[in-house]
Amino acid sequence: MTDTRPRLSTAQPGDYFQLLKPRVMSLVIFTAVTGLVVAPGQLNPLVAAIAILCIAVGAGAAGALNMGLEGETDALMKRTRGRPVAAGRVNKNDALAYGAVLSLFSVMLLGMNTNWFAAGLLALTIVYYAGFYTLMLKRRTPQNIVIGGAAGAFPPVIGWAAVTGDAPWQAWLLFLIIFLWTPPHSWALALYSAGDYARAGIPMMPVARGAKSTRLQILLYSLVLVPVAILPGVTDLGGAIYLGVSLIGGLLFLLLAFRLWRSRAGDQPEADRTHGGPAVGREAALYDVRIDAKPARNLFAYSILYLMLLFLALLLENLPASTLVCPSCA
Amino acid sequence: MRLTEEELTARKRRNLWIALGLVAFMVLVFLTTFLRLKQNISDSSAARAVAEAPAQPTGPGSKGAS
Repeated sequence: MTDTRPRLSTAQPGDYFQLLKPRVMSLVIFTAVTGLVVAPGQLNPLVAAIAILCIAVGAGAAGALNMGLEGETDALMKRTRGRPVAAGRVNKNDALAYGAVLSLFSVMLLGMNTNWFAAGLLALTIVYYAGFYTLMLKRRTPQNIVIGGAAGAFPPVIGWAAVTGDAPWQAWLLFLIIFLWTPPHSWALALYSAGDYARAGIPMMPVARGAKSTRLQILLYSLVLVPVAILPGVTDLGGAIYLGVSLIGGLLFLLLAFRLWRSRAGDQPEADRTHGGPAVGREAALYDVRIDAKPARNLFAYSILYLMLLFLALLLENLPASTLVCPSCA
Repeated sequence: MRLTEEELTARKRRNLWIALGLVAFMVLVFLTTFLRLKQNISDSSAARAVAEAPAQPTGPGSKGAS
């Protein structure tokens, strides 16, 4: 008689680490550290390190919940089909339980370690990303990434709140930079992965409104993002280094966004877009525009560098006075 | 159900990492408790010192407490 009971999982610890979306986590850590360093006030370096760990694990937990909920969808997309749940290495319920436990631990520990306002913001971020974005927004509106982008913008505010116990307008300015950065960044990627999203039934902007409209919206968001990103340089948040980086970096961002707008990146044969069609046609269309998609890839890659440089400049300018380096300076 | 060698090895590794994770969490809670206690003791000592200090004369030439 054949044994029909489910087999025991062969998932490795590395699979569970992948559930935390380590690459996203590194950006979360970086922006949260910046918020924590820029915030005025004193924080014991060990407390600060534990706070950053909590924010990172909380963000990772949201990623695990997302992968648990999106396993079937991820399996349909080339970019995500190797993820642990999509590939069948980790059970969906195991991923959800793992995400829930880590969420609880990280929020509790951040509350005990710093303050409950910061912990509340972390809890809000997890619920916003895993519940609001993944379950509700993602499949319902092409504005999914615009509204859902707020989840990725919270870490510097949480870092700031961990130090001061509140979130003044300067913290929300950092939030706004990431919030406005997310649509051009994500849509640039979506322009050359539209086939993937269409196959999975996700109404990303290029799928729902077409490549031309997406390219225009990327340019418009970039035109708003760049001046906003300069603002910390003219306030007490940043100094000359930040101002230089945001000006030069911003101009380059605009140039790449303009080139993308003028390009034909993401354009597909009309016949292919009009039907909800089989994967094969859409995939072929995606490969057809590969050469034209170069401007989209350039903007996508540069957008990551741009955000990193902005926050690095803020970090470098504020680090010498930070309590993390010099507890008596603040 | 007889488990394969691969399943047993994977379970052993996962259990080891769960144990390490729990120990790390316990250490972090202990550290947090210790740091908060230390901070609270230091804060209450400072508050007591302020309360026990003789009152500063206030006048046109002196800085009053805000």
